[in-house]
Amino acid sequence: MSSRSSAGAPAPGAPARTSLPGGAFAGSGSLWGQVVKIALLGLFTALGVWAALPLYVGGNWAGIAVVAAVLVLVYWVYLSKRTVPLKYLLPGVLLLITFQILPVLYTMSTSVTNFSDGHRGDKEQAIAAIEAYSVTRAEQGREFGLTVATTGDPESGELVFLLTDPEGAAYAGDIEGLRPLDEATVDPASGRVTEAFGYTVLSPAQVNARSQELEEFAVPVGDGAGIRASGLSTAYEGRATRVYDAGCDCITDASTGVVYTADDERGAFYSEDGERLAQGWRVNVGFDNFARFLFNPTFASSFFSILVWNIGFAVAVTGLVFVVGLAVALTLHVPKLRGKQAYRILVVLPYAMSSLAMYLLWRDMFNTDFGLFNQLLGTNVDWLGDAWTARFAVILANVWLGYPYMFLVATGALQAIPRELTQAARIDGAGAWQAFRHVTLPMLMVAMTPILIATFAFNFNNFNAVWLITKGGPFPPDDPSAGATDLLITYTYRMAFSQATAEYGYAAALSVMIFVIVSVMSVISLSRSKALQEVDR
Amino acid sequence: MRLRSAPAFAALAATALMATACGGGGEDAQEGTDTTLVIWSDPERAAAIEAAAQSFADTNGIKVDVQQLAFGDIQGDLLNAHQAGNAPDIFIGAHDWTGNLVRNGAVQPVELPEHRAETLDETSVQALTYDGQLFGVPYSQENIFLMRNTALAPDAPETFEELVEVGTSLKESGETSEVLSMAVGQEGDPYRMNALFTSAGGYLFGQDDEGNWDPTDLGLNSDESIAAMEKIAEYGEAGQGVLRRSIDTQNDAALFFDGEAPFFIAGPWNIGDADAADLEYAISPIPGFEGEGPARPYIGYQAFFVTEGSANSALAQEFLANHVTDPAFILSLYESDPRTPVQLEALEEVSADDANIAAIAEAGAEGMPMPSIPEMGETWEPLGKAEAAIIGGADVRETMESTHETIAEKIGG
Amino acid sequence: MTATTRGYRRSTGSAFALWAARFGWRHVVMIAVAAFALFPVLFVVSAAVNPVGTLSSARLWPTGAGLDNAVDLFRNTPFTTWYANSLFFAVANAAATVFLSALAAYAFSRMRFRGRRVGMIGLLIIQMFPQFLAIVAIYLMFSTVGEYRPEIGFDTRWGLLLVYLGGALSINTWLMKGFFDTVPTELDESAQIDGATHAQVFFRIMLPLVTPVLAIVGLLVFISTINEFLMASVFLRDTDAKTLGLGLYQLVESQRNANFGMFSVGAVMLSLPTLIVFWFLQRYITEGLTAGAVKG
Repeated sequence: MSSRSSAGAPAPGAPARTSLPGGAFAGSGSLWGQVVKIALLGLFTALGVWAALPLYVGGNWAGIAVVAAVLVLVYWVYLSKRTVPLKYLLPGVLLLITFQILPVLYTMSTSVTNFSDGHRGDKEQAIAAIEAYSVTRAEQGREFGLTVATTGDPESGELVFLLTDPEGAAYAGDIEGLRPLDEATVDPASGRVTEAFGYTVLSPAQVNARSQELEEFAVPVGDGAGIRASGLSTAYEGRATRVYDAGCDCITDASTGVVYTADDERGAFYSEDGERLAQGWRVNVGFDNFARFLFNPTFASSFFSILVWNIGFAVAVTGLVFVVGLAVALTLHVPKLRGKQAYRILVVLPYAMSSLAMYLLWRDMFNTDFGLFNQLLGTNVDWLGDAWTARFAVILANVWLGYPYMFLVATGALQAIPRELTQAARIDGAGAWQAFRHVTLPMLMVAMTPILIATFAFNFNNFNAVWLITKGGPFPPDDPSAGATDLLITYTYRMAFSQATAEYGYAAALSVMIFVIVSVMSVISLSRSKALQEVDR
Repeated sequence: MRLRSAPAFAALAATALMATACGGGGEDAQEGTDTTLVIWSDPERAAAIEAAAQSFADTNGIKVDVQQLAFGDIQGDLLNAHQAGNAPDIFIGAHDWTGNLVRNGAVQPVELPEHRAETLDETSVQALTYDGQLFGVPYSQENIFLMRNTALAPDAPETFEELVEVGTSLKESGETSEVLSMAVGQEGDPYRMNALFTSAGGYLFGQDDEGNWDPTDLGLNSDESIAAMEKIAEYGEAGQGVLRRSIDTQNDAALFFDGEAPFFIAGPWNIGDADAADLEYAISPIPGFEGEGPARPYIGYQAFFVTEGSANSALAQEFLANHVTDPAFILSLYESDPRTPVQLEALEEVSADDANIAAIAEAGAEGMPMPSIPEMGETWEPLGKAEAAIIGGADVRETMESTHETIAEKIGG
Repeated sequence: MTATTRGYRRSTGSAFALWAARFGWRHVVMIAVAAFALFPVLFVVSAAVNPVGTLSSARLWPTGAGLDNAVDLFRNTPFTTWYANSLFFAVANAAATVFLSALAAYAFSRMRFRGRRVGMIGLLIIQMFPQFLAIVAIYLMFSTVGEYRPEIGFDTRWGLLLVYLGGALSINTWLMKGFFDTVPTELDESAQIDGATHAQVFFRIMLPLVTPVLAIVGLLVFISTINEFLMASVFLRDTDAKTLGLGLYQLVESQRNANFGMFSVGAVMLSLPTLIVFWFLQRYITEGLTAGAVKG
């Protein structure tokens, strides 16, 4: 009965299809509506042009194609007669696709890569870093006072280093090499050249504008060494000891003679005896990340117990939150209750507070020696040090934070149920409980089931709820990787983002798996509920 | 074409914005008329850095923009931003990030002119050096120390035993409720614990002759380390109850400031509150165990780094090489954010004025720089949990051995 | 409130018994719940006025009272700017989300089309992906956008608002659809027969009837936006661009909790707009009910 009366659907055979695309009413819109529509489409076109302009300047044709495609789509949807549902869905859906679905797809795509610290960028970046990091000061490395100048235009002319050595001799150096400089004015205070005939001295801003060029610039002084800038005012003689050779796809260390060959399977340079250079790049590793946790004995043994507690936690929090929230809503769902508004505000308070602060606070209240609970109860319970009390603590804190949401939703749902229905049931002789059980509750559940499922899903992945209170602990002394209150997501977080190495690829693989588990569970529970039948209808 | 009234303004506007957002990659559309050096800092130091960098900006005719992030977020955000080509030119960080930053190719090596390098504390420069290359310029250091309430405990204890004795008698006489306020927490605190751990002879990583950390020499299951933990466990919840998990970084300072604990394992970040609180305090080194080695607290260095790929690397390098090492700059930083400088001239000047700085530096004399090898990061969490479990009364040998295994597995993997 | 007529009357006992049966127990329950709701909040307020700016446990009442923390907060941070930013995001996001979500809910509730079921289930499922991983993707996306249109790239409120709006269609859409379903279809059908377009039905008939759910969804979005700091921490770096939630988070994160007093003041201040909005929207929830009762 619930679905019929609540949706007010007409008898079968006369479904809601009359309101479908086009229909008899197309074109009868008001003049005002049309004006608004034209204005909005115009505005939208202007925005499209606004977006496309810099893309055009930058020569990004793919970007322009995307903008144009979206524009065409919007025009089609809002001008065609056959796209009525889309007219309502398109704005939200476009945003959803761009800012939620695409990032998720991107994340999923990283689950088959070795994306992690040491494997973030591409191969070119790794090579550039390896070469740059190997530049070391030459044995008797000289230091110079530096003035950057040019022989041509400040923005594009060839770079020249005007150098002064500690003895005060001045030189000019360019890509050809170093030569003495006679006609130069040297500032006695800084020991740097301030002026030299035939050269234009660059201002700091001008030098800076050519930073990239400067990073690669070296005045060759023979034997592979070069004079490089260190900032704007000093230069030193240095040498790159590691050089990449595209021919053998390898890097040779000139100081040790070791050759590191690129391994495109593992995304790093390895020497013959297996030593690797720290800077690697991102490569595709197929299903290695999935295999890594599926065949990991520690993971296998902890996974099941964590999953059970994870489900238990989500069920307990969702159930309790629902019961408390609904009970409060029902208690207040009566006309003329004095102080109703004040009560409402008070019970919504937990929801209004910053959850970050509140989680930290709850953690403190469970402190053994100084916490509020032990002081009030006069006990000496090691709340967060014992598995079951810690679980209780986590659940309690989350019920406190979560019930106002249920209260709000249930209040709204109760408002939508015509009071006459319950009254009619009571007149028919039903008790208060029976009326609630057979009339109110079923109708409530139609609106509440998806909320309950979402609450379940939210709590299933409620990272902050556990992390800020127990960090997943307490941990058995012999296994610091899986704690008593660990959820899959906190466990993933710990395994993948331990402070030293962020392993995005691995974390993504774990997430994909958790995602699949949660989705399947949700879809199953959803398909058993009235909510989905509602959708089906 | 017939028009029908359609969903309104916001929908279309949002869609339009969306379309813009779909645009792909390409060239910089910003105008480069004003050069702005972007620096990432934590909120506490932001104002100081902004002010101190002003003279540099004026000299070079540029602007400086200091953006604030939580200190703990800087490393992760920087790596992400660097990857996306969106990173700042300069950022501040801790010396123990160096290994990871280098591994990701996210920072530029810095070549300090010799006359600049000489003015910095040698260990600090060493701490920022990785694979023979300097990657950042250190400017301040911090280490933990013992803070005592001089009304309750007039003399600095020579040994940890003495500390416990003084504290216990105060507690028994009812003057205080705690012997010592030292944060342990449910997850343990290896950073603070290292002082006691090293005093009792334990070690985490071995060192080679040149002082480089050796990740293959993990020492947690060594007899020395286990003996050290046994010693610490004597003061745990099952022992004397001096070290307890209920004391954590949330309440450790409050216990001391409220006069509930005569001794407090504190850091420079507590000085401000200590001055504001209504009590007399003094700073001294953390005492080691009687007859054992000195307590060696970790020393953390704070440094400036230049991001790889910075569009303003010339200015950024100049800033690091010649400005961050300048005593005037360090002193102006110190003015608004008092931390122990590593620039020797500045340190001398500051220590002369500020007894606390001198005392903290003295407390750190026996300290050891936190290892900056990437493997170090893998040890914090498991080691902390092991320490928490041991203080809670778990079997020492068993816990240490399994922790050793966990960490070894992570490092090897 | 028009629905006050009682269809039944069973108790003829004393007035007090009647009151107790109808209202008394409700007050007892509510006082208990309110106490449960309140005591942690008292803690925060206590930390906010406690002059020692650390969170000392086990004190429902502060050892001292003062405005030191508030003064610190105002002096050391651009508090009012942060506050204004927070309100901007909360209001803009709530308004846009309510609108976008209502549009979609109308389509899901009143129209039958291909992909409807998949769409609704997809909306639920996409929320279950751990969001902390998507931050890398968001970084890449907005770095690119920022190169072309710095107006909506990093460090801009419009960029962040767009990201928030990406979540406009969510579980809230389900919530709304459930309410739209409770509005009898006869209402819009008869309007359509009278010549109204679907848009007119939506704006003139549906929206006024579902005011309670619009108010509730608006409130929910308002609250979650004002407390959000994860995405904001990725997006907003300029001190003056920050939201209060983000600024507060960075306060406690940075100073190893020595700032807890300031943080508490901020947390209390942060909850004020939420309560005001709630107070304000309460009326709409009630009005919506009245309107529904009359027209339904």
